[in-house]
Amino acid sequence: MDFVAAWGTLSAAPLAIMAWVPAADPTWTSILLLGMLAGLLCLDDTALAQTWFSQPLPVGVLTGAFCGDPLAGLAIGLPVQLILAGNLPVGQSFTGDHVTSLVAIVGAVVLSGRDLGLALGARTLGEIPFVGWMVLAVGLFSSAGHFMIQLERRAHSVWMLEGHRTLRDGRLGRIEQIHARCLFTTFLRGFVTTVIMLLLIRRLWIPAFDHLPNLVLGALGMLPLLLPGLGIGNLIDRYGVRSSWPWLVSGTAISYLVTRFVL
Amino acid sequence: MSGDKLSTRRSRGLTFKLKLALFVRSLSLQASWNHERMQNLGLLTVMLPWARTQRRNLNQDRVFCRRYYEFFNTNPYLANFVIGGLVRLEEDRAAARDNGATLSPGTTTMFRDSLGRAFASLGDQLFWLGIRPAMAMAICLLGLHGQMLAVLGLVGIFAVGQLILRWRSLDRGYRLGFDLVDVLQHRHWHRGIAIAERSGMVLTGMTAGTYLAMVTRPGVPVHDGLLWFGILAGLGLPMILRRRLPGEMLILVALGLALLLGFAVFVSGG
Repeated sequence: MDFVAAWGTLSAAPLAIMAWVPAADPTWTSILLLGMLAGLLCLDDTALAQTWFSQPLPVGVLTGAFCGDPLAGLAIGLPVQLILAGNLPVGQSFTGDHVTSLVAIVGAVVLSGRDLGLALGARTLGEIPFVGWMVLAVGLFSSAGHFMIQLERRAHSVWMLEGHRTLRDGRLGRIEQIHARCLFTTFLRGFVTTVIMLLLIRRLWIPAFDHLPNLVLGALGMLPLLLPGLGIGNLIDRYGVRSSWPWLVSGTAISYLVTRFVL
Repeated sequence: MSGDKLSTRRSRGLTFKLKLALFVRSLSLQASWNHERMQNLGLLTVMLPWARTQRRNLNQDRVFCRRYYEFFNTNPYLANFVIGGLVRLEEDRAAARDNGATLSPGTTTMFRDSLGRAFASLGDQLFWLGIRPAMAMAICLLGLHGQMLAVLGLVGIFAVGQLILRWRSLDRGYRLGFDLVDVLQHRHWHRGIAIAERSGMVLTGMTAGTYLAMVTRPGVPVHDGLLWFGILAGLGLPMILRRRLPGEMLILVALGLALLLGFAVFVSGG
Protein backbone atom coordinates (compact mmCIF):
# COMPACT_ATOMS: atom_id res chain seq x y z
CA MET A 1 0.00 0.00 0.00
CA ASP A 2 2.84 2.35 0.97
CA PHE A 3 4.59 1.48 -2.27
CA VAL A 4 1.46 2.35 -4.29
CA ALA A 5 1.11 5.67 -2.47
CA ALA A 6 4.80 6.49 -2.96
CA TRP A 7 4.58 5.57 -6.65
CA GLY A 8 1.50 7.79 -7.00
CA THR A 9 3.33 10.72 -5.42
CA LEU A 10 6.41 10.16 -7.58
CA SER A 11 4.46 9.93 -10.81
CA ALA A 12 2.49 13.05 -9.88
CA ALA A 13 5.69 15.09 -9.41
CA PRO A 14 6.54 15.56 -13.13
CA LEU A 15 2.91 16.47 -13.82
CA ALA A 16 2.99 19.03 -11.03
CA ILE A 17 6.19 20.53 -12.46
CA MET A 18 4.65 20.63 -15.95
CA ALA A 19 1.58 22.36 -14.58
CA TRP A 20 3.88 24.93 -13.00
CA VAL A 21 5.21 25.96 -16.41
CA PRO A 22 2.69 27.79 -18.51
CA ALA A 23 2.69 27.31 -22.27
CA ALA A 24 4.05 30.72 -23.18
CA ASP A 25 6.15 32.20 -20.37
CA PRO A 26 8.77 30.77 -20.52
CA THR A 27 8.18 28.13 -23.19
CA TRP A 28 9.66 24.66 -22.90
CA THR A 29 11.81 25.40 -25.95
CA SER A 30 13.39 28.45 -24.34
CA ILE A 31 13.89 26.58 -21.05
CA LEU A 32 15.62 23.70 -22.80
CA LEU A 33 17.78 25.98 -24.96
CA LEU A 34 18.84 28.03 -21.94
CA GLY A 35 19.61 24.81 -20.07
CA MET A 36 21.85 23.71 -22.95
CA LEU A 37 23.60 27.08 -23.07
CA ALA A 38 24.25 26.82 -19.31
CA GLY A 39 25.53 23.25 -19.75
CA LEU A 40 28.05 24.40 -22.38
CA LEU A 41 29.15 27.39 -20.29
CA CYS A 42 29.54 25.13 -17.21
CA LEU A 43 31.85 22.92 -19.28
CA ASP A 44 33.87 26.00 -20.20
CA ASP A 45 34.03 27.17 -16.57
CA THR A 46 36.04 24.28 -15.14
CA ALA A 47 36.07 21.28 -17.46
CA LEU A 48 36.68 22.11 -21.12
CA ALA A 49 39.03 24.68 -22.68
CA GLN A 50 38.41 27.35 -19.97
CA THR A 51 38.15 30.20 -22.43
CA TRP A 52 36.65 32.60 -19.82
CA PHE A 53 33.43 33.04 -21.78
CA SER A 54 31.99 31.61 -18.57
CA GLN A 55 32.93 34.69 -16.53
CA PRO A 56 29.87 36.54 -15.20
CA LEU A 57 29.79 39.46 -17.64
CA PRO A 58 30.22 37.41 -20.85
CA VAL A 59 27.67 34.91 -19.50
CA GLY A 60 25.20 37.73 -18.87
CA VAL A 61 25.74 39.34 -22.28
CA LEU A 62 25.62 35.99 -24.13
CA THR A 63 22.44 34.89 -22.35
CA GLY A 64 20.84 38.28 -22.89
CA ALA A 65 21.76 38.20 -26.59
CA PHE A 66 20.46 34.62 -26.80
CA CYS A 67 17.10 35.77 -25.43
CA GLY A 68 17.03 38.99 -27.44
CA ASP A 69 18.10 41.63 -24.86
CA PRO A 70 21.87 41.79 -24.26
CA LEU A 71 21.44 45.02 -22.27
CA ALA A 72 19.59 43.15 -19.51
CA GLY A 73 22.50 40.70 -19.39
CA LEU A 74 24.92 43.60 -19.09
CA ALA A 75 22.89 45.27 -16.30
CA ILE A 76 22.91 42.09 -14.17
CA GLY A 77 26.26 40.67 -15.28
CA LEU A 78 28.30 43.81 -14.61
CA PRO A 79 27.79 44.13 -10.81
CA VAL A 80 28.18 40.35 -10.50
CA GLN A 81 31.44 40.44 -12.49
CA LEU A 82 32.77 43.21 -10.24
CA ILE A 83 31.92 41.39 -7.02
CA LEU A 84 33.15 37.97 -8.23
CA ALA A 85 36.41 39.28 -9.75
CA GLY A 86 38.35 37.82 -6.82
CA ASN A 87 36.85 34.31 -7.10
CA LEU A 88 39.22 31.78 -8.61
CA PRO A 89 37.90 28.49 -10.09
CA VAL A 90 40.93 26.49 -9.00
CA GLY A 91 41.18 23.25 -7.09
CA GLN A 92 39.61 23.13 -3.67
CA SER A 93 38.80 26.82 -3.29
CA PHE A 94 35.21 28.03 -3.07
CA THR A 95 34.01 28.53 -6.59
CA GLY A 96 30.27 29.02 -6.37
CA ASP A 97 28.24 28.40 -9.48
CA HIS A 98 27.60 31.78 -11.02
CA VAL A 99 27.14 30.32 -14.50
CA THR A 100 23.87 28.46 -13.94
CA SER A 101 22.42 31.16 -11.69
CA LEU A 102 23.27 33.95 -14.17
CA VAL A 103 21.89 32.09 -17.19
CA ALA A 104 18.70 31.30 -15.27
CA ILE A 105 18.28 34.83 -13.91
CA VAL A 106 19.07 36.76 -17.09
CA GLY A 107 16.93 34.30 -19.07
CA ALA A 108 14.01 34.61 -16.65
CA VAL A 109 14.22 38.43 -16.60
CA VAL A 110 14.31 38.79 -20.39
CA LEU A 111 11.61 36.19 -20.97
CA SER A 112 9.37 37.87 -18.39
CA GLY A 113 9.46 40.96 -20.60
CA ARG A 114 11.12 43.33 -18.11
CA ASP A 115 13.05 46.13 -19.74
CA LEU A 116 16.14 46.86 -17.67
CA GLY A 117 17.93 50.13 -18.11
CA LEU A 118 21.64 49.95 -17.53
CA ALA A 119 21.78 50.20 -13.74
CA LEU A 120 25.18 51.78 -13.43
CA GLY A 121 25.35 55.18 -15.00
CA ALA A 122 21.60 55.37 -15.64
CA ARG A 123 19.83 58.64 -15.04
CA THR A 124 16.90 56.96 -13.35
CA LEU A 125 16.86 54.69 -10.33
CA GLY A 126 13.61 53.01 -11.32
CA GLU A 127 15.02 49.57 -12.11
CA ILE A 128 17.97 49.56 -9.71
CA PRO A 129 16.14 47.81 -6.80
CA PHE A 130 15.08 45.11 -9.27
CA VAL A 131 18.69 44.68 -10.42
CA GLY A 132 19.68 44.45 -6.73
CA TRP A 133 17.00 41.77 -6.19
CA MET A 134 18.40 39.79 -9.11
CA VAL A 135 22.03 40.18 -7.97
CA LEU A 136 20.97 38.89 -4.56
CA ALA A 137 19.44 35.88 -6.32
CA VAL A 138 22.75 35.29 -8.13
CA GLY A 139 24.55 35.25 -4.76
CA LEU A 140 22.10 32.84 -3.15
CA PHE A 141 21.69 30.49 -6.10
CA SER A 142 25.40 30.51 -6.85
CA SER A 143 26.12 29.46 -3.25
CA ALA A 144 23.54 26.68 -3.60
CA GLY A 145 25.14 25.62 -6.90
CA HIS A 146 28.50 25.30 -5.12
CA PHE A 147 27.14 22.26 -3.28
CA MET A 148 26.14 20.72 -6.62
CA ILE A 149 29.75 21.21 -7.81
CA GLN A 150 31.07 19.52 -4.68
CA LEU A 151 28.61 16.66 -5.22
CA GLU A 152 29.82 16.28 -8.79
CA ARG A 153 33.44 16.20 -7.64
CA ARG A 154 32.62 13.47 -5.12
CA ALA A 155 31.12 11.47 -7.99
CA HIS A 156 34.40 12.02 -9.90
CA SER A 157 36.29 10.55 -6.93
CA VAL A 158 34.08 7.45 -6.91
CA TRP A 159 34.49 7.00 -10.67
CA MET A 160 38.23 7.55 -10.40
CA LEU A 161 38.37 4.63 -7.95
CA GLU A 162 36.35 2.59 -10.45
CA GLY A 163 39.18 3.22 -12.91
CA HIS A 164 41.48 1.15 -10.69
CA ARG A 165 40.04 -1.91 -12.43
CA THR A 166 41.94 -0.87 -15.55
CA LEU A 167 45.18 -1.10 -13.57
CA ARG A 168 44.37 -4.82 -13.26
CA ASP A 169 42.78 -5.72 -16.61
CA GLY A 170 44.50 -3.09 -18.82
CA ARG A 171 41.26 -2.01 -20.56
CA LEU A 172 42.13 1.50 -21.69
CA GLY A 173 38.64 2.26 -23.04
CA ARG A 174 37.25 2.30 -19.49
CA ILE A 175 39.39 5.31 -18.59
CA GLU A 176 38.06 7.22 -21.60
CA GLN A 177 34.48 6.25 -20.72
CA ILE A 178 34.89 7.52 -17.15
CA HIS A 179 36.40 10.78 -18.40
CA ALA A 180 33.57 11.25 -20.92
CA ARG A 181 31.05 10.49 -18.14
CA CYS A 182 32.60 13.26 -16.02
CA LEU A 183 32.28 15.70 -18.94
CA PHE A 184 28.67 14.73 -19.50
CA THR A 185 27.90 15.06 -15.77
CA THR A 186 29.19 18.64 -15.80
CA PHE A 187 26.95 19.44 -18.77
CA LEU A 188 24.00 17.73 -17.11
CA ARG A 189 24.58 19.57 -13.82
CA GLY A 190 24.52 22.88 -15.67
CA PHE A 191 21.42 21.92 -17.62
CA VAL A 192 19.35 20.56 -14.71
CA THR A 193 20.37 23.27 -12.21
CA THR A 194 19.53 26.01 -14.70
CA VAL A 195 16.13 24.58 -15.59
CA ILE A 196 15.19 24.28 -11.90
CA MET A 197 16.50 27.77 -11.09
CA LEU A 198 14.77 29.28 -14.11
CA LEU A 199 11.42 27.93 -12.98
CA LEU A 200 11.97 29.05 -9.37
CA ILE A 201 13.03 32.54 -10.40
CA ARG A 202 10.27 33.02 -12.94
CA ARG A 203 7.49 31.62 -10.73
CA LEU A 204 8.60 32.77 -7.25
CA TRP A 205 11.53 35.17 -7.14
CA ILE A 206 10.40 37.74 -9.73
CA PRO A 207 6.75 37.90 -8.54
CA ALA A 208 7.98 38.26 -4.92
CA PHE A 209 9.65 41.57 -5.86
CA ASP A 210 6.27 43.31 -6.08
CA HIS A 211 5.50 42.41 -2.46
CA LEU A 212 8.73 43.61 -0.85
CA PRO A 213 8.48 46.26 1.91
CA ASN A 214 9.83 49.73 1.21
CA LEU A 215 12.78 49.32 3.56
CA VAL A 216 13.99 46.26 1.64
CA LEU A 217 13.38 48.01 -1.70
CA GLY A 218 15.51 50.93 -0.49
CA ALA A 219 18.28 48.54 0.56
CA LEU A 220 18.10 46.72 -2.77
CA GLY A 221 18.40 50.04 -4.55
CA MET A 222 21.69 50.63 -2.75
CA LEU A 223 23.03 47.13 -3.43
CA PRO A 224 24.27 47.68 -7.01
CA LEU A 225 25.92 50.90 -5.81
CA LEU A 226 27.73 49.14 -2.94
CA LEU A 227 28.86 46.10 -4.90
CA PRO A 228 31.42 47.79 -7.18
CA GLY A 229 33.09 49.30 -4.11
CA LEU A 230 33.20 45.93 -2.36
CA GLY A 231 34.47 44.11 -5.45
CA ILE A 232 37.16 46.69 -6.15
CA GLY A 233 38.06 46.83 -2.44
CA ASN A 234 38.45 43.04 -2.45
CA LEU A 235 40.84 43.20 -5.41
CA ILE A 236 42.85 46.06 -3.89
CA ASP A 237 43.21 43.96 -0.73
CA ARG A 238 44.48 41.08 -2.88
CA TYR A 239 47.06 43.28 -4.62
CA GLY A 240 48.12 44.95 -1.36
CA VAL A 241 47.49 48.66 -0.78
CA ARG A 242 51.14 49.58 -0.22
CA SER A 243 52.42 48.11 -3.45
CA SER A 244 49.46 48.98 -5.65
CA TRP A 245 48.39 52.49 -4.64
CA PRO A 246 50.41 54.48 -7.24
CA TRP A 247 48.97 52.36 -10.08
CA LEU A 248 45.46 52.45 -8.64
CA VAL A 249 45.46 56.19 -8.05
CA SER A 250 46.84 56.98 -11.51
CA GLY A 251 44.30 54.67 -13.14
CA THR A 252 41.45 56.19 -11.14
CA ALA A 253 42.48 59.77 -11.90
CA ILE A 254 42.92 59.20 -15.64
CA SER A 255 39.66 57.37 -16.16
CA TYR A 256 37.68 59.75 -13.92
CA LEU A 257 38.88 62.77 -15.88
CA VAL A 258 38.41 61.10 -19.27
CA THR A 259 34.89 59.84 -18.44
CA ARG A 260 33.80 63.09 -16.83
CA PHE A 261 35.25 65.60 -19.26
CA VAL A 262 36.09 63.87 -22.54
CA LEU A 263 33.53 61.11 -23.20
CA MET B 1 62.96 2.50 -32.31
CA SER B 2 66.67 2.99 -33.04
CA GLY B 3 68.53 6.01 -31.70
CA ASP B 4 68.87 7.59 -35.19
CA LYS B 5 65.17 7.24 -35.98
CA LEU B 6 64.29 8.68 -32.62
CA SER B 7 66.50 11.75 -33.03
CA THR B 8 65.12 12.33 -36.58
CA ARG B 9 61.58 12.20 -35.23
CA ARG B 10 62.50 14.55 -32.36
CA SER B 11 63.82 17.14 -34.79
CA ARG B 12 60.50 16.97 -36.73
CA GLY B 13 58.41 17.19 -33.59
CA LEU B 14 55.16 15.29 -32.94
CA THR B 15 53.20 13.98 -35.92
CA PHE B 16 50.19 16.17 -36.74
CA LYS B 17 47.69 13.40 -36.01
CA LEU B 18 49.13 12.60 -32.59
CA LYS B 19 49.59 16.26 -31.74
CA LEU B 20 45.97 17.01 -32.63
CA ALA B 21 44.72 14.09 -30.53
CA LEU B 22 46.84 15.16 -27.55
CA PHE B 23 45.78 18.80 -27.95
CA VAL B 24 42.05 18.10 -28.15
CA ARG B 25 42.17 15.84 -25.12
CA SER B 26 44.35 18.25 -23.16
CA LEU B 27 41.52 20.81 -23.33
CA SER B 28 39.54 18.57 -20.99
CA LEU B 29 42.42 17.88 -18.58
CA GLN B 30 40.36 19.16 -15.63
CA ALA B 31 37.07 17.49 -16.59
CA SER B 32 37.48 14.58 -14.16
CA TRP B 33 39.10 16.66 -11.40
CA ASN B 34 38.70 14.93 -8.04
CA HIS B 35 39.73 15.76 -4.49
CA GLU B 36 41.98 12.70 -4.05
CA ARG B 37 44.26 12.81 -7.10
CA MET B 38 43.07 15.93 -8.90
CA GLN B 39 43.95 15.73 -12.64
CA ASN B 40 45.26 12.12 -12.70
CA LEU B 41 42.38 10.72 -14.75
CA GLY B 42 42.56 13.69 -17.14
CA LEU B 43 46.31 13.22 -17.65
CA LEU B 44 45.92 9.51 -18.36
CA THR B 45 43.13 10.24 -20.88
CA VAL B 46 45.42 12.75 -22.63
CA MET B 47 48.28 10.25 -22.80
CA LEU B 48 46.21 7.36 -24.21
CA PRO B 49 46.51 8.34 -27.92
CA TRP B 50 50.27 7.97 -27.56
CA ALA B 51 49.87 4.54 -25.87
CA ARG B 52 47.70 3.44 -28.80
CA THR B 53 50.48 4.22 -31.30
CA GLN B 54 52.65 1.57 -29.63
CA ARG B 55 52.59 -2.21 -30.00
CA ARG B 56 49.87 -3.32 -27.58
CA ASN B 57 50.84 -5.51 -24.68
CA LEU B 58 48.47 -6.11 -21.77
CA ASN B 59 51.16 -5.97 -19.12
CA GLN B 60 52.69 -2.80 -20.55
CA ASP B 61 49.26 -1.17 -20.78
CA ARG B 62 48.63 -1.89 -17.10
CA VAL B 63 52.03 -0.53 -16.08
CA PHE B 64 51.47 2.52 -18.30
CA CYS B 65 48.15 3.24 -16.57
CA ARG B 66 49.73 2.80 -13.15
CA ARG B 67 52.39 5.39 -13.98
CA TYR B 68 49.71 8.01 -14.66
CA TYR B 69 47.11 7.06 -12.07
CA GLU B 70 48.93 8.86 -9.26
CA PHE B 71 48.32 12.38 -8.00
CA PHE B 72 48.81 15.07 -10.61
CA ASN B 73 47.95 18.75 -10.61
CA THR B 74 49.15 21.63 -12.72
CA ASN B 75 47.88 24.79 -14.39
CA PRO B 76 45.63 23.86 -17.35
CA TYR B 77 47.02 26.61 -19.61
CA LEU B 78 50.64 25.46 -19.15
CA ALA B 79 49.93 21.73 -18.78
CA ASN B 80 50.93 20.96 -22.37
CA PHE B 81 54.59 21.72 -21.65
CA VAL B 82 54.51 18.83 -19.15
CA ILE B 83 52.42 16.60 -21.43
CA GLY B 84 54.81 17.12 -24.37
CA GLY B 85 57.74 16.28 -22.08
CA LEU B 86 55.98 13.16 -20.80
CA VAL B 87 55.37 11.91 -24.37
CA ARG B 88 59.08 12.30 -25.05
CA LEU B 89 59.91 10.43 -21.86
CA GLU B 90 57.57 7.60 -22.86
CA GLU B 91 59.29 7.40 -26.25
CA ASP B 92 62.65 7.18 -24.49
CA ARG B 93 61.26 4.40 -22.33
CA ALA B 94 59.93 2.49 -25.35
CA ALA B 95 63.25 2.90 -27.21
CA ALA B 96 65.20 1.71 -24.17
CA ARG B 97 62.91 -1.32 -23.89
CA ASP B 98 63.46 -2.16 -27.57
CA ASN B 99 67.21 -2.04 -26.97
CA GLY B 100 66.93 -4.32 -23.95
CA ALA B 101 67.52 -1.56 -21.42
CA THR B 102 65.10 -0.12 -18.85
CA LEU B 103 64.27 3.36 -17.68
CA SER B 104 63.50 3.68 -13.98
CA PRO B 105 59.73 4.07 -13.29
CA GLY B 106 60.64 6.83 -10.83
CA THR B 107 61.89 9.01 -13.72
CA THR B 108 58.36 9.67 -14.98
CA THR B 109 57.06 10.33 -11.47
CA MET B 110 59.90 12.74 -10.73
CA PHE B 111 59.49 14.57 -14.06
CA ARG B 112 55.70 14.79 -13.79
CA ASP B 113 55.62 15.88 -10.14
CA SER B 114 58.45 18.40 -10.17
CA LEU B 115 57.55 20.07 -13.46
CA GLY B 116 53.81 19.82 -12.79
CA ARG B 117 54.23 21.68 -9.51
CA ALA B 118 56.55 24.29 -10.99
CA PHE B 119 54.17 25.04 -13.89
CA ALA B 120 51.22 25.04 -11.48
CA SER B 121 52.85 27.73 -9.37
CA LEU B 122 53.88 29.75 -12.41
CA GLY B 123 50.45 29.39 -14.05
CA ASP B 124 48.61 30.38 -10.88
CA GLN B 125 50.71 33.53 -10.59
CA LEU B 126 50.39 34.41 -14.26
CA PHE B 127 46.84 33.38 -15.14
CA TRP B 128 44.73 33.19 -11.98
CA LEU B 129 46.32 36.05 -10.02
CA GLY B 130 47.65 38.14 -12.91
CA ILE B 131 45.75 37.97 -16.19
CA ARG B 132 42.33 36.91 -14.88
CA PRO B 133 41.73 39.86 -12.51
CA ALA B 134 43.16 42.23 -15.14
CA MET B 135 40.84 40.76 -17.77
CA ALA B 136 37.89 40.94 -15.36
CA MET B 137 38.54 44.63 -14.76
CA ALA B 138 39.09 45.30 -18.48
CA ILE B 139 35.72 43.79 -19.41
CA CYS B 140 34.05 45.66 -16.52
CA LEU B 141 35.50 48.88 -17.86
CA LEU B 142 34.17 48.09 -21.34
CA GLY B 143 30.85 47.06 -19.80
CA LEU B 144 30.58 50.37 -17.92
CA HIS B 145 30.88 52.12 -21.27
CA GLY B 146 28.22 49.78 -22.71
CA GLN B 147 30.63 48.11 -25.18
CA MET B 148 29.11 44.63 -25.23
CA LEU B 149 30.75 43.46 -28.46
CA ALA B 150 34.13 44.63 -27.19
CA VAL B 151 33.58 42.57 -24.00
CA LEU B 152 33.00 39.42 -26.05
CA GLY B 153 35.82 40.36 -28.45
CA LEU B 154 38.36 40.73 -25.63
CA VAL B 155 37.40 37.37 -24.12
CA GLY B 156 37.58 35.88 -27.62
CA ILE B 157 41.14 37.20 -28.06
CA PHE B 158 42.16 35.58 -24.77
CA ALA B 159 40.46 32.31 -25.78
CA VAL B 160 42.32 32.14 -29.10
CA GLY B 161 45.60 33.20 -27.46
CA GLN B 162 45.47 30.48 -24.82
CA LEU B 163 44.59 27.86 -27.45
CA ILE B 164 47.67 28.89 -29.49
CA LEU B 165 49.81 28.72 -26.34
CA ARG B 166 48.52 25.21 -25.57
CA TRP B 167 49.11 24.04 -29.16
CA ARG B 168 52.66 25.40 -29.34
CA SER B 169 53.68 24.32 -25.83
CA LEU B 170 52.91 20.70 -26.67
CA ASP B 171 55.68 20.64 -29.30
CA ARG B 172 57.98 22.75 -27.12
CA GLY B 173 57.65 20.32 -24.21
CA TYR B 174 58.24 17.37 -26.56
CA ARG B 175 61.38 18.87 -28.10
CA LEU B 176 62.89 19.97 -24.78
CA GLY B 177 62.13 17.02 -22.49
CA PHE B 178 64.21 17.42 -19.32
CA ASP B 179 65.50 20.75 -20.67
CA LEU B 180 62.05 22.20 -19.86
CA VAL B 181 63.71 23.32 -16.63
CA ASP B 182 65.46 25.99 -18.73
CA VAL B 183 62.07 27.30 -19.89
CA LEU B 184 61.01 27.67 -16.26
CA GLN B 185 64.10 29.69 -15.48
CA HIS B 186 63.46 32.18 -18.26
CA ARG B 187 63.04 35.76 -17.09
CA HIS B 188 60.03 36.47 -19.29
CA TRP B 189 57.69 34.56 -16.94
CA HIS B 190 58.39 36.89 -14.05
CA ARG B 191 58.26 39.92 -16.29
CA GLY B 192 54.90 38.70 -17.62
CA ILE B 193 53.55 38.20 -14.09
CA ALA B 194 54.66 41.69 -13.05
CA ILE B 195 53.12 43.27 -16.18
CA ALA B 196 49.84 41.37 -15.68
CA GLU B 197 49.62 42.42 -12.03
CA ARG B 198 50.38 46.08 -12.75
CA SER B 199 47.92 46.10 -15.63
CA GLY B 200 45.37 44.65 -13.23
CA MET B 201 46.08 47.42 -10.71
CA VAL B 202 45.76 50.18 -13.32
CA LEU B 203 42.58 48.63 -14.77
CA THR B 204 41.11 48.29 -11.26
CA GLY B 205 41.81 52.00 -10.72
CA MET B 206 40.34 52.85 -14.12
CA THR B 207 37.17 50.87 -13.36
CA ALA B 208 36.85 52.65 -10.01
CA GLY B 209 37.39 56.05 -11.68
CA THR B 210 34.84 55.38 -14.41
CA TYR B 211 32.29 54.17 -11.87
CA LEU B 212 32.86 57.28 -9.73
CA ALA B 213 32.54 59.57 -12.74
CA MET B 214 29.28 57.90 -13.77
CA VAL B 215 27.53 57.98 -10.40
CA THR B 216 28.67 61.50 -9.45
CA ARG B 217 27.79 63.24 -12.71
CA PRO B 218 24.96 65.77 -12.58
CA GLY B 219 21.48 64.35 -12.97
CA VAL B 220 22.08 60.98 -11.35
CA PRO B 221 19.59 60.89 -8.47
CA VAL B 222 21.82 59.35 -5.80
CA HIS B 223 21.97 60.94 -2.35
CA ASP B 224 25.57 62.24 -2.00
CA GLY B 225 26.02 61.15 1.62
CA LEU B 226 24.75 57.64 0.94
CA LEU B 227 26.86 57.33 -2.18
CA TRP B 228 30.14 58.29 -0.52
CA PHE B 229 29.39 56.21 2.57
CA GLY B 230 28.60 53.25 0.34
CA ILE B 231 31.78 53.65 -1.72
CA LEU B 232 34.01 54.07 1.34
CA ALA B 233 32.33 51.18 3.18
CA GLY B 234 32.70 49.00 0.10
CA LEU B 235 36.36 49.84 -0.37
CA GLY B 236 37.22 49.66 3.32
CA LEU B 237 35.31 46.56 4.40
CA PRO B 238 37.53 43.89 2.77
CA MET B 239 40.57 45.52 4.36
CA ILE B 240 38.88 45.79 7.77
CA LEU B 241 37.65 42.18 7.64
CA ARG B 242 41.20 41.01 6.78
CA ARG B 243 39.66 38.00 5.06
CA ARG B 244 39.12 37.48 1.37
CA LEU B 245 35.51 36.47 1.27
CA PRO B 246 34.05 34.78 -1.82
CA GLY B 247 32.01 37.15 -3.98
CA GLU B 248 28.76 35.38 -3.04
CA MET B 249 29.39 36.18 0.64
CA LEU B 250 30.22 39.79 -0.27
CA ILE B 251 26.77 40.14 -1.87
CA LEU B 252 25.18 39.13 1.44
CA VAL B 253 27.52 41.46 3.37
CA ALA B 254 26.51 44.27 0.98
CA LEU B 255 22.84 43.49 1.53
CA GLY B 256 23.31 43.66 5.32
CA LEU B 257 25.11 46.98 4.95
CA ALA B 258 22.41 48.29 2.60
CA LEU B 259 19.67 47.28 5.05
CA LEU B 260 21.50 49.09 7.86
CA LEU B 261 21.87 52.21 5.70
CA GLY B 262 18.21 51.99 4.67
CA PHE B 263 17.15 51.65 8.30
CA ALA B 264 19.30 54.65 9.27
CA VAL B 265 17.68 56.75 6.53
CA PHE B 266 14.21 55.52 7.58
CA VAL B 267 14.82 56.39 11.26
CA SER B 268 16.19 59.82 10.39
CA GLY B 269 13.04 60.42 8.34
CA GLY B 270 14.85 60.65 4.97
